[in-house]
Amino acid sequence: MYVMEVLLGITGKDFTIIAASKAAMRGASILKVNDDKTRPLNKHTLMAYSGEAGDTVQFAEYVQANVQLYSMRNSTDLTPYETASFVRSELAKSLRSRSPYTVNLLLGGYDPIKDQPQLYWIDYLASCANVPYAAHGYAQYYCLSILDKHHHPDISFEQGMKILRMCTDELKRRLPIDFKGVIVKVVTKDGVREEPYEDDKQVLAP
Amino acid sequence: MDALVAQYSRPAHQEGFADEDQQQLTADIQPPLSLKFALPPIASSQQWLRAMTDDNSNPNCPIKIAHGTTTLAFRFKGGIIVATDSRATAGNWIASQTVKKVIEINSCLLGTMAGGAADCQYWLAYLGMQCRLHELRHKRRITVCAASKILANLVYSYKGMGLSMGTMCAGVTPSEGPALYYIDSDGTRLAGNLFCVGSGQTFAYGVLDAQYNYDLSDEDALELGRRSILAATHRDAFSGGFINLYHVKEDGWVKHGFTDTNGVFWDTKLNKGEFSNVTANLD
Amino acid sequence: MASGYDRALSVFSPDGHVFQVEYALEAVKRGTCAVAVKGTDPESQVVVLGCEKRSALKLQDTRITPSKISMVDTHVCLAFAGLNADARILVDKARLEAQSHRLTVEDPVSVEYITKYVAGVQQRYTQSGGVRPFGISTLIVGFDPGSKEARLYQTEPSGIYSAWKANAIGRSSKTVREFLERNHKDSMTRDETIELTIKSLLEVVQTGAKNIEIAIMAPGKTVEMLPGEDIEKIVEKINSEKDAQAEASASRRGGQRAAAGDAAASAQGPEQVLAQRPAGEGSGAPPE
Repeated sequence: MYVMEVLLGITGKDFTIIAASKAAMRGASILKVNDDKTRPLNKHTLMAYSGEAGDTVQFAEYVQANVQLYSMRNSTDLTPYETASFVRSELAKSLRSRSPYTVNLLLGGYDPIKDQPQLYWIDYLASCANVPYAAHGYAQYYCLSILDKHHHPDISFEQGMKILRMCTDELKRRLPIDFKGVIVKVVTKDGVREEPYEDDKQVLAP
Repeated sequence: MDALVAQYSRPAHQEGFADEDQQQLTADIQPPLSLKFALPPIASSQQWLRAMTDDNSNPNCPIKIAHGTTTLAFRFKGGIIVATDSRATAGNWIASQTVKKVIEINSCLLGTMAGGAADCQYWLAYLGMQCRLHELRHKRRITVCAASKILANLVYSYKGMGLSMGTMCAGVTPSEGPALYYIDSDGTRLAGNLFCVGSGQTFAYGVLDAQYNYDLSDEDALELGRRSILAATHRDAFSGGFINLYHVKEDGWVKHGFTDTNGVFWDTKLNKGEFSNVTANLD
Repeated sequence: MASGYDRALSVFSPDGHVFQVEYALEAVKRGTCAVAVKGTDPESQVVVLGCEKRSALKLQDTRITPSKISMVDTHVCLAFAGLNADARILVDKARLEAQSHRLTVEDPVSVEYITKYVAGVQQRYTQSGGVRPFGISTLIVGFDPGSKEARLYQTEPSGIYSAWKANAIGRSSKTVREFLERNHKDSMTRDETIELTIKSLLEVVQTGAKNIEIAIMAPGKTVEMLPGEDIEKIVEKINSEKDAQAEASASRRGGQRAAAGDAAASAQGPEQVLAQRPAGEGSGAPPE
């Protein structure tokens, strides 16, 4: 079921956009239409997750608590790269345990030292890749080709949002179930913010 | 020998942020939230349980767990309405028509029961104990947020071991206002305005979604809750019996009866003209 | 003194003392002083922590030497007096508990909860075999989540905790506490609170601004460390006020020499008496 959940990430000149579908599905029903599948880890890092029910939130909040504990203990934040390494190693650890977490992640961030946006694609097998744009689940099949065609490393925020709109429109057109639109969050040098995103417009296949 | 080596060498990936303090001294002052149960001596409790209880693939399975239910709860301006049916089934057999599926955790918190009856009863009673302890330790009533999280963490710690519950926690606290959470044995925990859980959920959703509005009056909200359960008991073979109706307000919950669906059904049909597919005259 | 009853921690002396715990209190008294004051201005409450900083050696890098004031969570701050190294461990346990509490019940800790936890850890180290108590007292300040009411608690090596309007721990804490008792007012503003904190610290810190550290907490905000220049300004202000006062009383004394008698000593105030006290000697009070 969780391959129907949409996670998208796009980096640009000075920002990372993370989008996550708002539907929480269980069995035959959609239980919630404004579910937030993201957790801020620290000022400059945001994690979006999809996967096995229960595992997702448990893992995300566990990671969040530990990253914040690190900030508290050392009076400094982990950079997105360090956070990704930590998350990956936690997943790798769990993969080799009796009950692994089945969680796919996108880790979007902004590195305030290197002054550049960062995006990491992490799956439940603990692969981790630094990428300019990424997706999880069925969204990959629809969106990666769009991103391949339209994405450039130095796009402006407006262009980034335009590409995101192309992606979500395509998903609405062709994904067989309704994912109830997406929550969009943006990470810049000033931190994480939620971006209002219009998604009640109906999109029909031509 | 291998055991000896294993004892003294730690795998490289075991270095963690949080688990440095394992010595006895630093163990929690409070008892751990999750109790330790003895598990059956089986390689995979999940598989074993499925073999013993799965009614679909093996109609002769030795253990039949009570599963069919309709429960609902929704938030509105006057608080929270909680309503359930009262039928317990084990396979195709109706085990009871008078089950209390609303569990009174304390004077301000209600839990609902869907899935394994024993699991729900036991763990919600346990939650009640944790809530009281929280109250004593912190000198203030526990938030619904915290209570639901305790339950979610607890069932998550038993994930894959056969717990079966879909429950809702409803309560009104000064800091949160009316709060409603859905928790199931997968470990999912969702805050929301409206939930229906159980085999009859789809029927209840149908009636509830159509007329739900946050600004409902108390009477309309109670009637909507009652009518939604009635719809589910009418169409779902595993739901039925009595309608158990509660209204949670700021100063605690109020019970609004345990009414036989039969009477409610005929009242609805004859006085409101609904259920027109059911014929009342015998000729 | 102890005739063997301080050999093992968990052994009582015949008159009911646990000597190791009392020795720990002695270690606290040798630690640098820490002060906390609540400003309960009804408009906006604050709570201020002040610490005496040990003077740095010539080659020491003061910029990155750890401070005696540390954050436990974004809304809770802790200052200690006593053994630095012990404090590090205790603070770390508190931080872990703060995050763990967020993880398990989704709410941040209340100040009282984390105080109780810290005191609980300290207590456990007075009743277990093979360990030594934490040689520190702590002042824990902050604001409960969503609340605008300042909180101030103290914990001791024995595991006692208590709530205060203003308090001091560490070297000469008794004199500072007495000073606070004389000068503390209800509903002080932010500036008044900071000034009182610095004034009380100046009772025991001879070297002035460069050996003082000030942290301020306000509702819904993280801790704010007062910059050195600001502390210096306030110290100067206090000193000039003091001088003016001394001058005024001196001229008054000149006018009424006949009536003065022993009033001169009291006009001078206990401040000067205290300044003559050898540094590092503690308040001289017996352990409770």
